[in-house]
Amino acid sequence: MAELLERGGLVHRHGRHVKLDGEPTAILWLGTLAAAALGDGSVHWLNDEGGSLAHSVHAGAILTTCRHPDGMSVLTGGDDGRVCRVASDGEMTEIGRFERKWVEHLVASPASGLIVAGVAREAVAWSKCASEPTHRYAVSSTIGGLALDAKGKRLGIAHYNGATLVYGTNPDSGRVALNWVGSHIACTMSPDGRYLVTGLQETGLHGWQLPELRDMRMSGYATKTRSFSWDRKAKWLATAGDAQAILWPFEGKLGPIGKAPLLLAKREGTIVTRVAFHPRDDILAIGYSDGTVILARPADENTVLIDEGGAFITALAWNDAGTRLGWGDEDGRIGILDMEARV
Amino acid sequence: MLRPEALGENVRHDPLGKSRVWVELRQRVAENAGWTRICPLSAANREAKEVIYYIRGFMNSTPLIPVTVLIGYLGAGKTTLLNRILSENHGRKYAVIVNEFGEIGIDNELIVDADEEVFEMNNGCICCTVRGDLIRIIEGLMKRKGAFDAIIIETTGLADPAPVAQTFFVDDDVRARASLDAIVTVVDARHILARLEDSHEAEEQIAFADVILLNKTDLVDAQELERVRQRIRAINGPARLHETQNCVVPLEEVLERGAFDLDRILEIEPNFLSEDDHEHDDAITSVSLSSDAPIRPELFMPWLRNLTAAQGQDILRLKGVLAFPGEEQRYVVQGVHMLLEGDHQRDWRADEVRASRMVFIGRNLDPTALRQGFEACAVSAA
Repeated sequence: MAELLERGGLVHRHGRHVKLDGEPTAILWLGTLAAAALGDGSVHWLNDEGGSLAHSVHAGAILTTCRHPDGMSVLTGGDDGRVCRVASDGEMTEIGRFERKWVEHLVASPASGLIVAGVAREAVAWSKCASEPTHRYAVSSTIGGLALDAKGKRLGIAHYNGATLVYGTNPDSGRVALNWVGSHIACTMSPDGRYLVTGLQETGLHGWQLPELRDMRMSGYATKTRSFSWDRKAKWLATAGDAQAILWPFEGKLGPIGKAPLLLAKREGTIVTRVAFHPRDDILAIGYSDGTVILARPADENTVLIDEGGAFITALAWNDAGTRLGWGDEDGRIGILDMEARV
Repeated sequence: MLRPEALGENVRHDPLGKSRVWVELRQRVAENAGWTRICPLSAANREAKEVIYYIRGFMNSTPLIPVTVLIGYLGAGKTTLLNRILSENHGRKYAVIVNEFGEIGIDNELIVDADEEVFEMNNGCICCTVRGDLIRIIEGLMKRKGAFDAIIIETTGLADPAPVAQTFFVDDDVRARASLDAIVTVVDARHILARLEDSHEAEEQIAFADVILLNKTDLVDAQELERVRQRIRAINGPARLHETQNCVVPLEEVLERGAFDLDRILEIEPNFLSEDDHEHDDAITSVSLSSDAPIRPELFMPWLRNLTAAQGQDILRLKGVLAFPGEEQRYVVQGVHMLLEGDHQRDWRADEVRASRMVFIGRNLDPTALRQGFEACAVSAA
């Protein structure tokens, strides 16, 4: 461990760094190919061989990204009001354009083929295989976050004074209003659709157990929570926004109500900015405001240093197989860890 | 501390039921000079707030992006001024947040439409009413590193300036990256007296200003202009006042003023408004205080905190430059309603008189009580 610390983490032995010109706003994986979306509007593809390919996609910053339901391309939303599909071979298709608006949120589901973008006060949806928007859900204020369940049907929309729950695949279905005062700026839904959890402007989380609409409040966070990650069994919800990763237990009838959270990998003087559970193992990747990235195991609270010495971590993601971890900091340094190389 | 609670009812939290802890972070983050917020924070948040200042604001030395807020009624000349800022060759790039894009004739990808969404934080404290859209937009703009040097925010004539200003005190992510440089109010010399009669907003817009452009002076006669001048001065004595036609003013008088135009208050003669001849009971006035004797921080801080806690609703703006005994640096303080920020700004220059000055702008201000309170904080001559 001492040796690893001296060398600045495992990335130096089993991974690599790539320096890009803009601030990465997200990293996505297609197999072992990483896509980094940047604040200068470009998407950079990084492969295992060290090759990289850049595409200029948006006129301003890429504010949001997600994987296209086809699994072969990514979707980007920018402050130029466009939603684009970008394939790794450079093929680019504009699927939506919203003049004078920012596209700040995107979610998509391979299960239902649904794509939803958060554009000002509207959640704009594309049904499976649609090349232009098919329906919209208007809410009372600007959307703070979007979340889909594992089936890609139930859609949670966070906004000022609460959230709205709809069926994203059926524009005529009823909506459920989840009211809670305050500005809700991020959200996540449990894969089974039983919980919607939002992050608040005034810090802390609010949650609703569905369909009973039972309220939950999780407070004590140092800053706003903007990153959530469910583990593979949806037993834990890992959250950012404090000097440690905070994991809420969602097992049992009442979920986290009345239970204490697990506090993992505290680092004084920093803030956890991104969290990402390994897709096949009980390991949590944690990115901090000082550029440190670690892996932590909730079971025994052991940690491994992956990277350090960078800047504020803005992006962190595993590939589906759990063989690659990618992260990026606000100075444009991308890190990639090859988990297969460890074996 | 971290405990989810099952809540039966969806009720607003009673702000007065919460324990309020006034925190002064300065002492704790002593080595990391920067603004200190002295605001009622919940005990739970206290530790936390420190951390974020630490990480984004001070540890990384990225300079804060200056923000100019442009206020004024439709037709006062804001758009003329904005167009000048965008078209003049000054070598600076500005991101402009407007409320009506159509008014500006210049196409520029750094012009962003705002929604004017005023959000009340759920602790119910009025000092925490902010502009949610500005928080989002500023965070979004910051992703484009190096694309611009400063931000200008235009607001409508009907808007209350307080939430805009408070956004820069309250939101940690915004504070860590941007700082309020100056509030600039454009006033139409022809219509302002009528506006002041029929709306609170007109008065507050003048009260909040660091810089006032008294525009369209060519459209009123000398007598009328003098009346307007006096009325503006009665509301906001400390602001810099420029009389203009077509908003023609050197842009450096408006943009990137630095330190909230604090030096201006050192030039003002104290007690310029000792006359108590208010036109209405709720008229906004300004009170200026001065002390040649150094101010004792251990008395001054609690005095100011208690004052703003009790009268924060009425105090629209406050600013101060203070000399503490035996300190080589000027301490500057500024506030909006109940929110205060203070910091050691820079060393006193050899040729500077180490006098302490405070300016309050607000309603129902009692100059005598303020003066006595301030003077009681000074090191006594004996």
